Amino acid sequence: MSLIKEKFNQISPSEFFYSNRDLAGFSNPTRSLYTAVREFVENALDACDQKGILPDVHLIIKAVDPEKSDPKPYILTVKDNGPGIDPEHIPLAFGTVLYGSKFGLKQARGMFGLGATMAILYGQITTNKAVTVKSSVDGKIQDEFELLLDIQKNKPVIIKHTTKEVSKKGLSVSICLEGDYSKAGNKIRDYVYETSLITPYASITFDDPKGEKFAHPRFVKDIPPPPTIIRPHPHGIDVERIRRMIVESQFEIPNIDDAMIEKVRKDLGLSVKNLGFTAIMEKAKKKWKTLSRQVRVVIALMSFLKMDFEKLNKIKIEDIDMPNKKLFYWDFGESQSKSIDMNPESPYFKQLTNTVQGEPLTTFLTKRFQRIGPTTALKFAEFAGFKPEKRMGTMSNQELVNLSDSLQKFEDFLAPDPSCLAPLGEEPLEKGIKKFFNPDFTAVVQRPASAYSGFPFIVEMGIAYGGDIKTGGPHVYRYANRIPLLYDEGSDVVLKVVNDTDWGRYKIKGDPPFIIVSHICSTRIPYKTAGKENVADRPEIERELRLGLQYLSRKLAAYMSKRGQADMAKKRANLYAKYIPLIATFATELAGRKKEPNYKKILEIENAEKSQTIAEENEVENK
Amino acid sequence: MKLKTNKEKSKIKERSKKADEKQKNILEMLQSHGAKIYDDLDNGQFPKFSIPSRSVSNIVYDKKLRQYILGSNSALRSSRNSSQLRSFTQLMWLAFFANRLTQEKKSSTLRDVYYSSQAFAIEFEDQSESDNIIVDLEAVTSKPREDFHIFPEERSSIFGDLNIEYTIPGYEGKTMNLSNHPDGYSIGPSLTTAELVDTSAEIVIAIEKGGLFTRFVEEQVDKKFKSIIINTGGQAPRSTRTLLKRLHEEMKLPVIVLTDGDVYGEHIAMVIKSGSANAAHLRELTVPDAKWVGVWATDIEKYKLPTIPMTESDIKRCYDLQKDPRYEDGIWKKELDVFLRLKRKAELEAFSKYGLTNITEKYLPQKLELAKSL
Repeated sequence: MSLIKEKFNQISPSEFFYSNRDLAGFSNPTRSLYTAVREFVENALDACDQKGILPDVHLIIKAVDPEKSDPKPYILTVKDNGPGIDPEHIPLAFGTVLYGSKFGLKQARGMFGLGATMAILYGQITTNKAVTVKSSVDGKIQDEFELLLDIQKNKPVIIKHTTKEVSKKGLSVSICLEGDYSKAGNKIRDYVYETSLITPYASITFDDPKGEKFAHPRFVKDIPPPPTIIRPHPHGIDVERIRRMIVESQFEIPNIDDAMIEKVRKDLGLSVKNLGFTAIMEKAKKKWKTLSRQVRVVIALMSFLKMDFEKLNKIKIEDIDMPNKKLFYWDFGESQSKSIDMNPESPYFKQLTNTVQGEPLTTFLTKRFQRIGPTTALKFAEFAGFKPEKRMGTMSNQELVNLSDSLQKFEDFLAPDPSCLAPLGEEPLEKGIKKFFNPDFTAVVQRPASAYSGFPFIVEMGIAYGGDIKTGGPHVYRYANRIPLLYDEGSDVVLKVVNDTDWGRYKIKGDPPFIIVSHICSTRIPYKTAGKENVADRPEIERELRLGLQYLSRKLAAYMSKRGQADMAKKRANLYAKYIPLIATFATELAGRKKEPNYKKILEIENAEKSQTIAEENEVENK
Repeated sequence: MKLKTNKEKSKIKERSKKADEKQKNILEMLQSHGAKIYDDLDNGQFPKFSIPSRSVSNIVYDKKLRQYILGSNSALRSSRNSSQLRSFTQLMWLAFFANRLTQEKKSSTLRDVYYSSQAFAIEFEDQSESDNIIVDLEAVTSKPREDFHIFPEERSSIFGDLNIEYTIPGYEGKTMNLSNHPDGYSIGPSLTTAELVDTSAEIVIAIEKGGLFTRFVEEQVDKKFKSIIINTGGQAPRSTRTLLKRLHEEMKLPVIVLTDGDVYGEHIAMVIKSGSANAAHLRELTVPDAKWVGVWATDIEKYKLPTIPMTESDIKRCYDLQKDPRYEDGIWKKELDVFLRLKRKAELEAFSKYGLTNITEKYLPQKLELAKSL
């Protein structure tokens, strides 16, 4: 046999990300600076959104040594007026990878809050500097931490912790990282600009390393309604997720120690009274409805053991074998293992079964998923070939796979509940577009909620023409969950839909000045790559985008034809003013006259008629 | 130079008077159109006039006149209609421009017209637009553009014993014999407007090709057959057709046409005889008595001429012409049918197979003889 022993080391999540930082968008100094900005700004906005606070976000990037050439170390600071973070959570939240508060199922900009930690990790790797976190949750005391990550152990190392008095709530995070602002600057400025369009209720300022200040004050005073956290939809589930849900749904057999016995006595109102076994059972029956699950399990065990509290104190439960209806326990007094048979007819038997084997399938489905009622659960059980009362805890691996497959295939589930989504809303979107582009024409639409693979989504779109918009349109502004998408637009589904449109059909020709804004909201945006820059072309999403764009394009076409008519009327008037005098000149020479004819009269007639038609048109419109 | 006799002098006077009169008529007509439009403007009315419709449905064949003419449909062109305003102005400008040309006795090519417009802020998209407006003016006035001193580029020429007298400015009264220069004289504005004084010729031979024209001059066809030779340079330009008509009517000369032995050649002869649908609005361009003497399809077999196969478009042209009422009978129908049967064609030069002079010494005399019986 070989003498060399293979060494298996467990690596920590920090180590994993350290060696795979490309995945999270930290591939080079340019991209990393941009990604770090995004992660911190998006965290700040998410935090404010969750608490219904109108966000004030300040982004500051400063070069450590302005004289050095790029790439070089920068200090990146993002301050917000959000709820802050409890000081006890700060070291873990900023010094551990995979510690987050965003694991629930609802729409947020970031999925798990991983990105910020990645940025901190990247900063530490490239500059060996600590992250500085200042947080105040009450607006009175501010905690300031300096933290480093212990990459191998995935643990925070607190370098400094101080407190001081302040007058404002909020969080400020500051890191030092290697970046290239000369290359990333454009994208970062675009990012801030486009973010303020889709977040009109936020004030965002940006102080860039060259001393320029960009301010985007809020112009909408209402925050769109926050999303709610909801249970998953059966179509959006996999085996691993089911396994985790089963673990959550099972309860452990309580450890029957002195403290537990004390609790049971107290809950039964028997703290100072000693009763015999039968009397205890009587008492428990009466109080059953008010008892906690743990206590119920203890009572159930006592019912089979036929013991009072004194005896119960002298044994330890070893195993509960539900299929063979046997209960094993260790008797301290006799120092030996004993077993008794349980009567399956006893009402307490069911209580134990629930605890040990988990919930029946139908209960599991109705309680833990959205959009499943008892009827649907029964129908599904039949469809999937399971007994409705099948215990979740007794499912084999193969059965779990079958269950997962059937959940995906069953077609009678209602569409996912969109209440976990937070679209911006038509009115703020329109306001934003008008403020940013000062267009001659604007139209917006919010499509009804739809779903792909069990994930609900809503598409919002806007279109605008003329005004300050540059020619060469359509210029497309893409957003997903209120994040602007700036890279890799070529392969994006929105671009595909826009490029498929024949604009000539909508009376848009030449080099038109127009923009399209698209916003996809979903609990899970189907990004093509981990860098969150382009959305994959799921047919359901493509369809909603197409319908939205068609609706807007028709509105634009109506506007364009009206605009065309107005242009035409003007052109006509110019035509007469141009040609009638020429005709007069030629006619004068042809006729051999000296003086030109008085053609002003017909020009006046023409003008009068024109203003009359316009008046009539306006009248029709007003009606 | 020999002094002109009194008789000749009075003849010259008469002739120049005739030319002046024609010019006067044109100018009067233009003036009356101008006056009408002037008055409309002055009275606060949008000027308008009607133009005979030149659409296909309004072009009909008149058997009596033996040519295509326009029917009775006409279109109103009004300056009130904004979509017609531009072309209305263009037409007004052209009338104004033609008026100046006629008064100053200057001539202009179609291309000149296109460029001249730009001095008056009248934009023509391209020359075909300005050419089209010129046809409009012809249709409104029923006068060919040559009357307004507007001419196409020249490529046709004439040779033979014909004395002419110029009427254009600077040459008035000057005479010329058209057999003095062996390359021939190009048929331009000065020749078209010149007075035809006298000739010893007894026939006019119109020939399609410049090469054969040169051969005919070399072989002295003008003297041997007492003829005036005209090179039409393919489809005869309107100035050439005007001259042919005048030679026929004023000098009482019969006209025969000699073309390549193919369907296009046949149609060149037909256009000289009875005009084209394009010029249906004009009636002074045809020589109804002109005769096509060859090369016929039947000649190809009779004279065993070397041939080349007809192309797709040649054959299509045959079928198109079969629908034309002028090809419904006689030699026209017969030869067209033979072309379609043979699916081959022969050029005038094909006679060179039997020697360069074969065409003038053998073929032409036979055809001239035949023409008398046609």
